[in-house]
Amino acid sequence: MQIGFKHLCIMIAIVIALILFSSFLCLIVLPSPKEIIESLRSSEMMFSLKLTLISALISTILVMIVGTPAAYALARFSFPGKKIIMTILDLPIAMPEVVLGLALLLLFGKTPLGTFLKYLGIRVVFTKIGVVVAEFFTALPYAMRTLYSTFETISARYELVARSLGYGAFETFMKITLPMARSGIIAALVIAFARSVGTFGTVLILAGGTYMVTETLPVTLYLNMSYGNLGMAITSGLLLLGVSFITIYMVERLGGRT
Amino acid sequence: MKSILLVKDLHVDLGEFKIEDITFTVDRGDYVCVIGPTGSGKTILIETIAGLYKPKRGSIILDGEDITDLPPEKRNIGIVYQDYALFPHMTVFDNIAFGLKKRISKKSEIIREVKTIAQKLGIEHILHRRPTTLSGGEQQRVALARALVVRPKLLLMDEPFSALDFKTRSRLRKLVRDVVSEYNTTVIHVTHDFEDVWSLANKVMVMYRGRILQYDTVEEVFNRPCSDFVADFIDINVMEGVVTCSNDKTIVRIGDLEIMSKDKVYEGSRVKVFIRPERVLILKYRPDKKFENILEGFVENIENRGSMIYVWARVNNILMKCAFTPNILNIVDFRIGDKVYLCFRSDDVRLFVFS
Ligand SMILES: Nc1ncnc2c1ncn2[C@@H]1O[C@H](COP(=O)(O)OP(=O)(O)OP(=O)(O)O)[C@@H](O)[C@H]1O
Ligand SMILES: [Mg+2]
Repeated sequence: MQIGFKHLCIMIAIVIALILFSSFLCLIVLPSPKEIIESLRSSEMMFSLKLTLISALISTILVMIVGTPAAYALARFSFPGKKIIMTILDLPIAMPEVVLGLALLLLFGKTPLGTFLKYLGIRVVFTKIGVVVAEFFTALPYAMRTLYSTFETISARYELVARSLGYGAFETFMKITLPMARSGIIAALVIAFARSVGTFGTVLILAGGTYMVTETLPVTLYLNMSYGNLGMAITSGLLLLGVSFITIYMVERLGGRT
Repeated sequence: MKSILLVKDLHVDLGEFKIEDITFTVDRGDYVCVIGPTGSGKTILIETIAGLYKPKRGSIILDGEDITDLPPEKRNIGIVYQDYALFPHMTVFDNIAFGLKKRISKKSEIIREVKTIAQKLGIEHILHRRPTTLSGGEQQRVALARALVVRPKLLLMDEPFSALDFKTRSRLRKLVRDVVSEYNTTVIHVTHDFEDVWSLANKVMVMYRGRILQYDTVEEVFNRPCSDFVADFIDINVMEGVVTCSNDKTIVRIGDLEIMSKDKVYEGSRVKVFIRPERVLILKYRPDKKFENILEGFVENIENRGSMIYVWARVNNILMKCAFTPNILNIVDFRIGDKVYLCFRSDDVRLFVFS
């Protein structure tokens, strides 16, 4: 009985992996190489790729700048409202992206905050800034989860020892905590980048998914699918798949070491 | 000025746990061992002294300076943990030099200081290594070097030897004793091991439920535990009796036993009788030599605690604990149920009157 159950579980794992792998294979094998090269060289694809990489880079940097101290605070200190803050920051993970996009659209559109930003000349809705903002809020919770658990596993004792040796709180954070959190920070960075690149729903709603304006790779895939332009759609899919592979590879390469 | 640390009326509230009413002074060069059951607040006390927790009230004066509200980096207090807390991303050399870099800018001087302490602690040969590649004993010597090299006014140690094996532990104890006296460091050392108290401390603090039960010299605490709880905790035999005779020798009746003591107490007093387990000689035959007290009993339990063997013997209705070094087992073999003779001198019987 034991053996039978074990084999059944293994079978399920193998079958589901095979199905998934076949679908990736379709993406690579079915389109003709000529079609892909043509799509890659189209101005739309070049624009989309460039916008995706640049916006994801900016959003990742912002996520790390904001997420690192915030996650550190949540992992290390206790303060009133901490539980609520953690729940709110976690919520977007469970939330559909389109809902997050809609919420952000309303925040930056009709509220005093939106009006104030507009007054400063910063337009978020249906702009490239909107792309970055959408990616930022989608990626932040994922990066923060990783950062939080990283900081939590680093005992506060290291910090107390460093401080007892004469180092201030900020110096200790830079010289002890951050280097000790290195692998977790790299993992968070890669996750933030991957999430930023792959965000669809939030970008579509907040930034509008306009042809050659706020068009990122997932939007390219969607737009071309709806025009029946399969070659372009598959090409953007392949590029996104490539980013995912590189991401996983980087996590294993860089994140594995402590 | 004789005293270096003055803790007055210290209260720390951590929500689920508080330490309260902590007042004590430590003299320059003192070696204080803090003992007490697990969860009694020993770690919280020393971490408060180090500056991790903010006291609700009270004050901490170190070397004449009020450090109650100073951040840890301004206190000049060293700290050594059970799990060493060595910085894994630095070599042993950089770990030890870490605190020096804040104080000395000349590189050659830093190197010299690190080498000096490394030599004293026998770790010169591992300076280039990463902490994760070291044995527990080596790691603890590095942690000690890192804390001592900056010559702190006070060194705090939280169970520094408890993760080490028996042999390494006793070797490190010797090393600590030598280095600490050479640097003339004042130490507060939290421990569960009485061996640390015997071989290192001149003062003992007993903590329980966030309070100090007793704080005094080692002799005083072990000879005159201030309560049953302390007596029980420091592993001492406690009995209750009535003094029936008080001429040149005091005789105490405990149930149907009679025990002789040299302490002077009035006849008729109700007393607590304290006898240290290692002061009781346990034999299988009635000894020829005259002991003032020889009690007949039966072995009820034997416990080997590594450095000491404990034997509990029942004498009538009283359970007495004896302790001796494992060597004796080479000559005598004790088994549960054996008839034994418990022998001790009247000098070793402490009496305390209680009302
Ligand atoms: N930061 C904290 N906040 C709230 N409670 C704490 C905190 N740290 C420790 N405690 C609690 O305070 C109590 C005392 O802890 P402490 O670590 O000082 O005990 P200890 O005497 O050092 O025990 P042990 O001998 O096991 O090390 C424990 O019940 C612990 O759970
Ligand atoms: Mg402790």
